[in-house]
Amino acid sequence: MTAAILTAGLTKVYGDKRALDGVDLVVEEGSVFGFLGPNGAGKTTMLRLLTGLARPTAGSVQILGREVASTSNWVRAQIGFLPDVPGFYEWMTAEEFLRFAGGLFGIRGPVLDERAGMLLDLAGLCGVTTKIGGFSRGMKQRLGVAQALINAPRLLLLDEPTSALDPMGRKDVLDMLASLRGRTTVFFSTHILADVERVCDTVAILDRGQVVTHGHIDELKARYGVQKVVVEVTDRADELAHEFELEPWATAVTRRSNGAIEITVTDMDKAQRQIPALVSARQSGLSRLEAGELGLEEVFVDLVGGDRR
Amino acid sequence: MSGFVVFARKEAREILRTWRIWVLPGILLFFALTGPVMARFTPEIVAALAADQLGGLQLPDPTYLDAYSQWIKNLSGTALFALIIVYGSIVSAESRSGTAVLVLTKPVSRTAFVVAKVAVHSVFLAILVVAGTLVTWGLTAAAFGKAPGSALWSSALACLALGIFFIALMTFFSVVIRAAAGAAGAGLGAYALLSIAGVWEPLGLYTLAGLGAAASSIAAGRDSAVLWPVLTSLLLAVGLVALAAGVFRRNEL
Repeated sequence: MTAAILTAGLTKVYGDKRALDGVDLVVEEGSVFGFLGPNGAGKTTMLRLLTGLARPTAGSVQILGREVASTSNWVRAQIGFLPDVPGFYEWMTAEEFLRFAGGLFGIRGPVLDERAGMLLDLAGLCGVTTKIGGFSRGMKQRLGVAQALINAPRLLLLDEPTSALDPMGRKDVLDMLASLRGRTTVFFSTHILADVERVCDTVAILDRGQVVTHGHIDELKARYGVQKVVVEVTDRADELAHEFELEPWATAVTRRSNGAIEITVTDMDKAQRQIPALVSARQSGLSRLEAGELGLEEVFVDLVGGDRR
Repeated sequence: MSGFVVFARKEAREILRTWRIWVLPGILLFFALTGPVMARFTPEIVAALAADQLGGLQLPDPTYLDAYSQWIKNLSGTALFALIIVYGSIVSAESRSGTAVLVLTKPVSRTAFVVAKVAVHSVFLAILVVAGTLVTWGLTAAAFGKAPGSALWSSALACLALGIFFIALMTFFSVVIRAAAGAAGAGLGAYALLSIAGVWEPLGLYTLAGLGAAASSIAAGRDSAVLWPVLTSLLLAVGLVALAAGVFRRNEL
């Protein structure tokens, strides 16, 4: 299968700042790919290079198997793009803009009528006759997502698509992105970890222009995450915490502000079997035993936030 | 329908639905309506306002050529200044507002983007010049009872060629200078340089530098060759559009 996006040694330098530094990335067709990074990490620069709005200082970018630089018109016909702050002709209505965008792809007639109607509905802008100049930021963002879908793109590139949306709008957009899985490749940049965890199957984490990790979310959690157990007991929490520390399957034991004991474990099976026995042996009662995985947020903070805390 | 045609239609609709429909048309309509009337009644107005200062001086009777000269002077002067200012942001406004990004990530080349703008606004200017000249022609005939067309139309079309050159020039400046005021300043500087260059006879006779003076001369009823100035004006306009497209292709958005 051809990769939807393939970059090799992609570098972009502005003056003395390396916005992107040797990025190697593969995005499989059909995936929902989260491009995660803190503000200023280089996410928007990456999207500008993918769309041909900027040229790389070094390295190469292929979209659906073709170099962006040499076949940009073909590439542009295959993609839908939403910039971080979309700019619209403010004298147009939402429907006029969608029809204009569709026309640029050569779509017309009943197909354009149908798609424009469907996407207006999706964006919650059906029957809105106000000119775009009078739209809120959220309305513009939803229209931005709709115009990016007008050509039924093979690759949908979105720069921070949920950043201006209220919780309901955010949920709608994320549900819509998730529904595209397997039909269209979705590549979206964000700094909102919850969005990535909710809809993405694959993620790359970018920090200071470099991809610090890249893979399926579950793989990342397994690779970087260790499992943890939270225990709440009725009595003798301090003694039990000390006892847990001595167990070979426990690598760290901490106390939470509510008195719960958080244990980082290397062998979840053993921990789940032995913790109740240890509690019982101390004549204490077990109020809560919760096993959990490390979240993406913790992976992210571990990878990019270490020296910023 | 290609992206070029769709984008060109957007440009045309933008003219009709934004401030652009009021500024240049308003200025040209004002000049077209007032020029012949002012030419016809200038002696009476001057006599009424400054009879004491004129002594026994008799102003010549106005003719239709005075109305034509007034129209051409306004076209090649104030109207051209307005055009330079209006088109100082013809491309940069789209780059700044982000609309260019949404258009140029669809199958529309940057060359098509630039060429469509110049083509549509040149047609718009042509319509304005023709409409304004028709109004001037009709009012001149009404005011003077006589209005032969050749001097008026020849000089107006020469001004149109100069206007198209300045649309191309402003497109180029708007690509290389992101600030609208900066581009307009460069355009006004180019206008001043052309006016000075036209004083040198070879440039005045064979290049667009002499186009304004030649148009005024024809409007005043004198013979003047405008073929070379018009040709150089249009050729330079084509060259400037090609240059603007080339620079815009290399620009990062």
